[in-house]
Amino acid sequence: MKNNTDFWDQRRGKIFSKKGGWKIGQGVFNHGYSMMDDLVGEVSYMQVVMLNATGRLPERRLADWIEAVYICLSWPDPRIWCNQIGALGGSMHASAVASVAAGIMALDSRAYGTRPIIDGIKFITGALQQYNAGATPTDIIARQNTARGGKPQIMGYSRPIAKGDERIVAMERVTEALGFEIGPHMRLAYQIEEVFRSHYDESMNINGYGAAFMADQDYSEEETYRLLSSIGASGITACYVDQCDSVPNSFLPLRCDDIQYEGKPKRAVPEKNS
Amino acid sequence: MQTPKPSAQVRKRDDIYAQRATTRLWQELPAADNAYITAQSRCHGYDLMALMQKRSFVEVLYLLFRGELPTPEEAAMLEALMVGFINPGPRHPATRAAMNAGIGKTAPTLILPIALTTLSGKHNAAGSLEEGMRFLRKQRRQPAQEIALQMLAETAHPAEGDCHIAPGFGSLYNGVDLMSTQVAAQLLPMPGAGATLKWGQQFAQALADAGLGWLATGVVAAVLTDLGFQPRAAAGLYQIISAPGLFAHGVEQANKPMTGMPFIDDEDYIIEYEK
Repeated sequence: MKNNTDFWDQRRGKIFSKKGGWKIGQGVFNHGYSMMDDLVGEVSYMQVVMLNATGRLPERRLADWIEAVYICLSWPDPRIWCNQIGALGGSMHASAVASVAAGIMALDSRAYGTRPIIDGIKFITGALQQYNAGATPTDIIARQNTARGGKPQIMGYSRPIAKGDERIVAMERVTEALGFEIGPHMRLAYQIEEVFRSHYDESMNINGYGAAFMADQDYSEEETYRLLSSIGASGITACYVDQCDSVPNSFLPLRCDDIQYEGKPKRAVPEKNS
Repeated sequence: MQTPKPSAQVRKRDDIYAQRATTRLWQELPAADNAYITAQSRCHGYDLMALMQKRSFVEVLYLLFRGELPTPEEAAMLEALMVGFINPGPRHPATRAAMNAGIGKTAPTLILPIALTTLSGKHNAAGSLEEGMRFLRKQRRQPAQEIALQMLAETAHPAEGDCHIAPGFGSLYNGVDLMSTQVAAQLLPMPGAGATLKWGQQFAQALADAGLGWLATGVVAAVLTDLGFQPRAAAGLYQIISAPGLFAHGVEQANKPMTGMPFIDDEDYIIEYEK
């Protein structure tokens, strides 16, 4: 194996794609579909997003469900961290593309946004295995052993800033309207939520709801994370536009004393030979 | 009347948010007649103008993150490290991202962010630095050779691609990364070389027979550990260190025609659909 470069030699100057591509003069192909004949005008944009992220073309209603989640996570409120990055880009007159991309990157966070869906799906799929093996929702929560300040910290339950989550109410409406059944992951998620409500005055959040729903649809955590990778874009765009169309550098201006300095007091720079 | 579901009852938490952001590293003193204009800036207490007169860029970079000025030995170490890894080179994926942006006429303002974003990856890139520092911090008090032998026994070389036996250590194109090895060798005799770098050298040497050794990220992680930087700062520091080369390669392409870089022919573009 040492200094055997066959693997790279075989790939030099070549691209091997499992996805598709443009054969010039023949067409654009995507997972076996002709993009211009089979997909454009025939399926929704979100179906193609999911096809590209997972290799599977979902039924239209599932893509519509995901599109509704995209709306749920795209608020035009620049107090939200990712949106504020968009607003600051607008205030600096950065480009829309740069500002939205920066905001989307901010959503790759341990605390909110896109990345927590990975832990959310890992939790609920593991929880269902435990439940099927006889554990109660209370047991499952206790086994997570992530209690901080008396409250268990489980991805998908409770959220920053507020208790409750209005997005679940909206998505429950969408789920029902699109004719989706409540599956075993979602049923358990509601039972876990009930423990959170009765013991800790907390509820499920959109991550927990989405994680249970996607697990019921047989999507893995990585697939779901990938198909949600541009979530938040439209809210960030709104916050960007709001500021870009305003006077530059006028967003949340800070005076010097609006930043509290807590460091070392004034001192002289020592000479190099001291 | 049905009780609303818990998620439907949205109430603001009583969390107390800071009234002002705080910082320990930079102080801006306002002008007498305009509270928004900075009249004097201090870095960890030192006046910026005095730092300009008396200190190098590398010393102030160290000061920003560590809170104190480096000793001459520490400054020399950081400076040498930054020169050693100033450019990942034109074949590195992050550099190629910069070059693609340049040749593609992407706004020059975005060439560097594009390259640094690519460099955020975990495979021998900034994304492995934090883990690399934690690995070194954990293992450096154990005999390097023992750890290496144990890890070699537990790790199978993947059938395809490189073997990264530990964050910052492994193979590069199935061989030893000679440039990173040379950079480490050049740093080791310096007075500022610390115990972590020396441990890493022993670890890399113990891996050599298996075709493994230092990777760039390992050398950087080791030196940053010895210099006292925090693991969470390591990824960004690696990006700072690599930024000059990445941007230089990207902007070099920006004035060339779009035909100035290869566009793979259809016959070399092979579509193999997943079963």
